[in-house]
Amino acid sequence: MKRSYVGVLILAAILMMNIVFTQLVVHQYYYENYGVTLLYAGLNILLFPVALFVYKNEKNKGGSKGYEK
Amino acid sequence: MSDRNNKIPFDEDNYTHNINRNNERMLDRRGFMKTLAGAAGVFAVSTLPWGAVAAKELMGLGDKEYPHQKIADLKDVKVGDSVKFHFPSENDSAILIRLSENKYVAYQNACTHLRCPVYWVKDEQEMICPCHHGKFDASTGAPTAGPPRRPLPGIEVEVKDEAIYAVRVKRYEA
Ligand code: FES
Repeated sequence: MKRSYVGVLILAAILMMNIVFTQLVVHQYYYENYGVTLLYAGLNILLFPVALFVYKNEKNKGGSKGYEK
Repeated sequence: MSDRNNKIPFDEDNYTHNINRNNERMLDRRGFMKTLAGAAGVFAVSTLPWGAVAAKELMGLGDKEYPHQKIADLKDVKVGDSVKFHFPSENDSAILIRLSENKYVAYQNACTHLRCPVYWVKDEQEMICPCHHGKFDASTGAPTAGPPRRPLPGIEVEVKDEAIYAVRVKRYEA
């Protein structure tokens, strides 16, 4: 069974976005654009359920052995 | 030499080293994904306070409107004079300078270097910080010399009924 790295890649991308959004939140906060701060903070929080969803879906996709499924 | 790669390095008398044991791999693909998802959770939680403070700022003190505060009567402040006051709270010392007949400027006078009180030197027409000789331009609050790098936060003033009032702290413009 070929293992699937799609989940790993998606999760890594999500983490990347997390980092970017966190940075934007902090910067926008200091620039006093509070609306934008809220937007990015919201996006950052939304990413967590998405990450969980991806994990749940992908964790059993393709181990090195078929019977591990 | 020629058959060097052809040798078995040691007598193999057991075959257990290639048995696939449970939990042998500490960080496999699944564990790695779990870590990533967990990290996403940590990021989500860590932005919560920022969001909360921003929301508070948006709703409550949106434009930071404080009750107007009388600083001084017009007749008491001559051109070139300065008055010390406190705004918006008791602990925020501030300074009002009358630059010309109709021009008043006010700043929170805690130096942006290490918060020493900045005062107005009439003869030199400059605001000076005694601690490390920081200097500020009186008409803008921008630092002109010394260690301070950020301008002094300005305070909006209003002249009404022969008196000067502090209205609000201006937004910090970086
Ligand atoms: S505290 Fe004002 S110059 Fe250092």
